Amino acid sequence: MRLNPIIKKDVRVQSRSMKICWGVFAYELILALVFFLAMLIIHEESQYSTNNLYSNLVWLYPVLAVTQLVILGLIVPVRTASAISGEKERQTFDIMMTTSMTPFTIIMGKVMTAIVQSMLFVTASMPIMALSFVVGGMSWSYLFWFLAVALLLSFFAASIGILCSSLCKRSVSAVIMAYGFYLIFFVGTVLPILLVEYMGAYSSYISTTPMTVTSGGIIYSYRENFFLLLLLNPVMYLVEFFCRVMAGQSLVNDITSMTGITQTAGPINLVTTGYWWMIVSTVLFIAVSFLFLWLAAKRINPVKRKAKKLAEKGIQG
Amino acid sequence: MLQIDHLYKNYGKFQAVKNLSLHIPQGDLFGFVGPNGAGKTTTIRMVCGLMLPSAGNITINGVDVLTHQKEIKKQIGYVPDFFGVYDNLKVNEYMDFYGSMYRMGSKEIQRISDDLLELVNLSDKKEVFVDTLSRGMKQRLCVARALIHNPALLVLDEPNSGLDPRARVEMKELLLNLKSMGKTIVISSHILSELSEMCNSIGIMDHGNLVASGQIEDVMDSVFGSNQLIITLEEGQETALRIANEHAGVKVTSVGEREIKLTHTLTKQEIAKMIGEMIAHDVVVTGFHKQEGSLETLFMQVTDNDEEQKGGMENAAESNH
Repeated sequence: MRLNPIIKKDVRVQSRSMKICWGVFAYELILALVFFLAMLIIHEESQYSTNNLYSNLVWLYPVLAVTQLVILGLIVPVRTASAISGEKERQTFDIMMTTSMTPFTIIMGKVMTAIVQSMLFVTASMPIMALSFVVGGMSWSYLFWFLAVALLLSFFAASIGILCSSLCKRSVSAVIMAYGFYLIFFVGTVLPILLVEYMGAYSSYISTTPMTVTSGGIIYSYRENFFLLLLLNPVMYLVEFFCRVMAGQSLVNDITSMTGITQTAGPINLVTTGYWWMIVSTVLFIAVSFLFLWLAAKRINPVKRKAKKLAEKGIQG
Repeated sequence: MLQIDHLYKNYGKFQAVKNLSLHIPQGDLFGFVGPNGAGKTTTIRMVCGLMLPSAGNITINGVDVLTHQKEIKKQIGYVPDFFGVYDNLKVNEYMDFYGSMYRMGSKEIQRISDDLLELVNLSDKKEVFVDTLSRGMKQRLCVARALIHNPALLVLDEPNSGLDPRARVEMKELLLNLKSMGKTIVISSHILSELSEMCNSIGIMDHGNLVASGQIEDVMDSVFGSNQLIITLEEGQETALRIANEHAGVKVTSVGEREIKLTHTLTKQEIAKMIGEMIAHDVVVTGFHKQEGSLETLFMQVTDNDEEQKGGMENAAESNH
């Protein structure tokens, strides 16, 4: 299997730059500060709590993990958002497009470079992450689950970044657009639920039930459809992950039980069973990421976009 | 080799390229000439598959550029007017990167890269970082890069813009060297005198139209005419005019102080006989030659008579001298 030349080149170029050294340094520094801050809080709390200090130390794991994921979530789109627009600004993009590389290979090369870089940061932070395991009580497999989640979210963030990079001419606008996409996934998936809940409350107030329909004898609520949007919410994904890992409980189950959503029939019952929420959510994130990559590849291809249409119209002579 | 048929490119209502048809045979060094905004770069970008034509066909060795991108990319080497470089990448790594992008093996890249760097006179710069090279060196490196996959067609868009005179000469020598190797080269430039020294065929574009194209001599002949003769003389102008007018098919077009311009339908032997006759009648003929135009005058003649445009091209021509 041949290594994508873009990964080879980009990693080589980046590794020679001092930027990467400073990047790793800043990443480690932030983690170290968070670690000491968390230690301080845990220590303070243990003085006023009956809990053992050592039992509280396991909470370093989600704190450090979330810190890392937030940093990665912020830097990965920046790296990829400037990937294509940066090549255009550097005027190397046209040359790249005249080579035998397909647009999708170019896009994948840029995304993989961002992932390699984020994994470099995560790997470099292992000694700090490992500190939350030294007192015991947690399986080492949690560390590898964290790596898998970091990989998935980096891939998702990179795909958003690269799509924006293909849409914008300038890197700065691509970065802004990428954070706009973030907002859609973070807030846009929650907003319909809040609206529906508000409308539901209003409907109850006027003693009608417009949010529920009956189909084939099954009572089916629109509420659950909107709840399924949370499958694409990265915050929900992380919270569910850490609840599962740390407490062995499911936040999704708790919410659906509390709101009574599971009392209705439909796909919600399937995804709230066992680990299905995590599995479906993971598959959806991967699918959306590939959709973004495909769109980006389609976007950067200057010729194929309309070639078929032209050929169909027969105006090529 | 390169065949363009009825090519159009529209930007909204503006037509950048209008019904362009062109054939460039194998081994030609074709010069693409035209003022700014004439449609040269647009055409070049469409040929390289970087831009979608609004209508028309482009084929390279019979393969359609639009529908067979994969095959076409192997046949084209593209050198843009300006190319950026990656920081922290050495010359040999730069070549390796682009070789890999054509799915070549590392040993093959190494071998070809060594040969190409020698060709462009950069053998001693292999371990030098690309961003530290001079502009002329970067441009030569870009040509070497464009040749890494041994393309049949090399397309250069304004390769000499911003180069100093020495770098221009080196670039010209390089292109002539490549031509002698049988490469088909398309080069767009504003520097007309250089093109006339290098190219064997040209295409002149103006406002999206291809106003003249073909072998340089043929284009010159079609514009200036091949049957114009200038006779320079010291004495005996009246006798010379009488003798010239006595020959059927000769028409005197202008008479200067020591120069007679005429058009004719004579053969070379008949011209020699007429000149001999003048000399025999004591006309002091100091020389005679066919009227030849430069690429600059040709360009000015076939393109729009817009004064501003003329000025621009004259400046470009002057800056070259």
